[in-house]
Amino acid sequence: MPERFTLSSLAIRNLRRRPLRTTILIAALTLMVAALVFALSFVMRVNASIQLTSERLGADLLIVPTGARGAAEDILVESHARSFYMDKSIIERIRKVAGIDKLSHQTYLVSLIGMCCSVPESMVVAFNQETDFVVKPWLKNKLGRNLRKGEAIVGEESAFNISLGLVETETQLFGSPFKMVGVLDKTGSGLDTAIFISDDNIEDIIKNSDAKIKADQISVIFAKIKKGADAYKVMSEIENNIVEVDVVMRKDIGKSLLSALGDIRKIFYFTMILSTILSLFLVWAIFTAIANERTREVGIMRALGAKEGHVVKLFLFEVLVLGAIGSIAGIIVGTSLAVLLAKNFSILKNLPIDIGMLSRLLIAAAGLLFGTGICVLGALSPLNRLKKLEPLIAIKQE
Amino acid sequence: MSQIKLQNITKTYQVGEDALVAVQDVSLDIQSGDFISIVGHSGSGKTTLLSMIGGITTPTSGRISFEDTDLSAMGSDGLSEYRCRKIGFMFQFASLLPMLTVKENLLLPTMFVPEPERTYASKLDDKAAELLRSVGLLDKINAFPGQLSGGQQRRVAIARSFMNNPKLILADEPTGDLDEKTEQEMINFFKAMNRTEGITFVMVTHNSELARQTQRRLKMHQGSLQTLPSGE
Ligand SMILES: Nc1ncnc2c1ncn2[C@@H]1O[C@H](COP(=O)(O)OP(=O)(O)O)[C@@H](O)[C@H]1O
Ligand SMILES: [Mg+2]
Repeated sequence: MPERFTLSSLAIRNLRRRPLRTTILIAALTLMVAALVFALSFVMRVNASIQLTSERLGADLLIVPTGARGAAEDILVESHARSFYMDKSIIERIRKVAGIDKLSHQTYLVSLIGMCCSVPESMVVAFNQETDFVVKPWLKNKLGRNLRKGEAIVGEESAFNISLGLVETETQLFGSPFKMVGVLDKTGSGLDTAIFISDDNIEDIIKNSDAKIKADQISVIFAKIKKGADAYKVMSEIENNIVEVDVVMRKDIGKSLLSALGDIRKIFYFTMILSTILSLFLVWAIFTAIANERTREVGIMRALGAKEGHVVKLFLFEVLVLGAIGSIAGIIVGTSLAVLLAKNFSILKNLPIDIGMLSRLLIAAAGLLFGTGICVLGALSPLNRLKKLEPLIAIKQE
Repeated sequence: MSQIKLQNITKTYQVGEDALVAVQDVSLDIQSGDFISIVGHSGSGKTTLLSMIGGITTPTSGRISFEDTDLSAMGSDGLSEYRCRKIGFMFQFASLLPMLTVKENLLLPTMFVPEPERTYASKLDDKAAELLRSVGLLDKINAFPGQLSGGQQRRVAIARSFMNNPKLILADEPTGDLDEKTEQEMINFFKAMNRTEGITFVMVTHNSELARQTQRRLKMHQGSLQTLPSGE
C-alpha cells in the first residue's frame, strides 16, 4: 500500500521551502539551548560540590586563623594548596567554650614533592593522631595502628598516588624520606589531593627544611559540638571570645565560594533571560513572516475542508520539529561545552565532583522542553491569527 | 427539497467609510443535479456569491441552507466539514500548493476527511490517477505546479475538486486560461460528471457559448441575480 500523504509530510515539505530561514532559526535555538544547558550544568555542579564537601566533613565547626576563612574553603572545596597558621594554645581556649565536644587540629604545609617530572604543588596535612576524627575515618584499609614518623597516607586523587599507581613507595617530603602506607577513600573534597602525615614529623621538618613554620603552630581546628548544643551559639561564643580565629560552620563551608559563583550565576541567568527574549522575538518574527507568506495557502486549504485544528496541527508540527532539532543540537553543544570547559576553567576543574548522568539527562530534558516551549510560544500569536482568518479573505491575500 | 436555498442574500464590504454592496438581495433555489451557469461583468459579485454558497465567507444578511441545514448554524468546524464533504471548489485564480506534487495536491483535500470515513490510501491514489487521466494530465502526476503551464495547473485544480466526491461543484471561471479545444473538453467532462454522478454544478463563465450549453442560465448585474431565458 502506498504511503499515505499526511499533514506531517506537508509540514516537513514546508520546512524545506526556506532553507536559509530555517537554518537561522535552528541556529538561534541551538545557541539559546546551549547557553541554558551550559549554565545549568555549571550551577548544578557548583551546588553539588559544596553540599558534598560540607556533608562529608566530620566536624560541625572549622576554626581557622582570622582572615583564613576563604583559604580554608579553597582547600576543602577547590583543592587549592594553601597554608595559614595560628598558635597551638588556642586549642585549650576553645575547649573551654560551652558546647564543645571534641577537637582535633591539623597543620597545613605546602610542598613541592621531590619527584622527577612535573608533579604539581601538593598539600601536606600534618594531623594530630590522638584526637583525629577527620582523616582516619576515610582510610581505605584500616591501618590498625598509628602512623609512625616517616609514614604518610595519600588522598585518593593525590597526584603522587596517581602518577605512581602504587602506594608502598618512598618520596622526599621537606628533605626527609616518607613511606606511603595508606590511601584514603574518595572524600569528594579538596583533601583527595593531599598527603597526610602525623604531626610528630613537624619537628623534623622544621629542622631539615626551609618550611616557614614554627613549632606549636597549627592551621585548623575541627570541632564537634555536643548533642543538643546550638552550633550558632557555639560559633559566636568562640568568635566573640577569641579574636585570633574565624569560625566556619559546616553548612557555611563554601559560602564565600558560593557567593563568588553566585555572581557568575547571575551573569548566566541574565544571559539566559536575554537570549530567551531574543529567541522568542526571533521565532515570533519568523513565524509572523511565515504566516503572512502562507496566508493564501491556508485560505485554500480551509476552502478545501481544513478545520482550524488542521491548520494548527500543520504549523505546530513544523514548530515542534524546528524546536526539537534546535534543542537537541543545543543540548549537544551545551554539554560538550560544559565538559570541555570543565577541563580548562580553573574554577570548574577544581570542584571535587562532576554532575552525574541523571543530572545531565535532567538538564537535557529541561533544554528540550525550554527550546520547544520557546518555539511554540513564539508561534502562538501568528498561528492564532492565521487560523481565525476567514478563508475568502485569506485566499484574496497577496 | 432544494439542495441549496438562498433567501434574500446580501453582502456588503466596508471600504473605508463607505459600504460597498457586492451582492444584493439574491434568492435562488438549486436542485440536486442542476447545471447552472452564471455570467456577468467583472465586479458584479459572482465570486462573492459562490464564496457564500461554499461557506468560505458569510452573508451580511439573508439565509443560506444546504439540504435544509442553515450554514450559519454549522460553526467553524461544521463549515469545514461541509466544504470538505459536500463542496468542490474550482477557484478563479491559481490555487495549487507549490511545494506539493500534482498527485499530492490532489490528495490534499482527502487529508481533511475525518479519519473513520477516510478511504484507503491506495484507493485515493487510484482515484487521483483516474481524475488526472480525465483532465489529460496523468503524465504530470509527479510534477510540481511550477513545472506546469497556467492551463495545466488549472486542469489539476479541476481534478482536485472531485477528490472528496462532492455533491456540489462551485466553479469560478474554471476554464479561464484554457484554449478553446481544452475548454470544451473540460465542459464535456463536467457534463459527464453531472450526468453520471449527479453532481450539481454552479459555474461562473465569461464564455456565453459555454453558458448556452447549460440547463439554467443566470446573470449577475451589480450584485443582483437575473434569470436568462433558456436557449437565448
Ligand atoms: N474583500 C473585499 N473588500 C472590498 N470590496 C470587495 C472585496 N471583495 C470583493 N469586493 C468588491 O465586491 C464586488 C464584487 O466582487 P466579486 O464578487 O469578486 O466580483 P466578480 O467575481 O463578479 O468579478 C466588486 O466591486 C469588488 O471590488
Ligand atoms: Mg470573480
